[in-house]
Amino acid sequence: METTTHQSDDDILITGLKSGNQGAFREAVRLYTPGMMAVARFYLDHASAEEIVQDCWVTVIDAVQTFEGRSGLKTWLHRIVANRAKNHLRKTKREVNADFSEALDPDLAARFAPNGRWATPPSLKTNESAQALMENGALSDCLDRHLSALPETQRSALMLYEAHQHKSDDVCNILDVSASNLRVLLHRARQKIFLMVETFQETGEC
Amino acid sequence: MLMCRDLARIASDYIDGELGTGKVMSVKMHLLMCGRCRSFIGSLRASIELMNAHSSQQLDEDLVRRIDERVSESLNARHSGNDTSDP
Repeated sequence: METTTHQSDDDILITGLKSGNQGAFREAVRLYTPGMMAVARFYLDHASAEEIVQDCWVTVIDAVQTFEGRSGLKTWLHRIVANRAKNHLRKTKREVNADFSEALDPDLAARFAPNGRWATPPSLKTNESAQALMENGALSDCLDRHLSALPETQRSALMLYEAHQHKSDDVCNILDVSASNLRVLLHRARQKIFLMVETFQETGEC
Repeated sequence: MLMCRDLARIASDYIDGELGTGKVMSVKMHLLMCGRCRSFIGSLRASIELMNAHSSQQLDEDLVRRIDERVSESLNARHSGNDTSDP
């Protein structure tokens, strides 16, 4: 699924949404719900996140009339979700639980000698393209499992930055984290994926 | 001097162009001399590409269906509410 659209595609979609066109809503829901869920899951458990995202879409029916296009449609939707999720979090008196203390994943940190050099160097072979590797169904399933196992905060940061191609500033704003904390979340998530792919390539097991 | 472990710690910042000029220079110097770290940076890049190729496939069809239903109900309610035709 393509999550970024050209400006002109967005404009056509926004016109459709403003006129209450059901087809436009169906298209927008397919296009933007995964990103909205990534935002909501940063703050909330799965069930609450789904509820918030559903409510947001109903809100959008009226709210889109005031959408002026200063930010893109995606960023606007993600901000609506973030605000709602934060309100929900406040009402339930909970806090986002994230660890920003160490940029190095413990499993990777264990691969260095005391002098700071590699003791167990990386063994991932990178001669196949990502697309070719993804044709391996078992690897795809394994990636799914590992993405699901990431802490929500890391996964959301990764999704918004990579898959939904937000700029760092936007991610910080939507997730309410500092630039340096976002860097930690992204790097920790990426290391986990690297370790997983490396193990998979070496052993054929997830 | 930058050690392999230091480089691993800031590898994502290097890949994303988030390091200052001085730090970038010391990373580049290290990479010139260290094949293992070159391999790590290449591997991390490959992992990011792989993740992107993968995450673009995910969509929760059940959630999408539930949202479509709710949006559709709300739109229909609005349309009938705004209906100004003769009773």
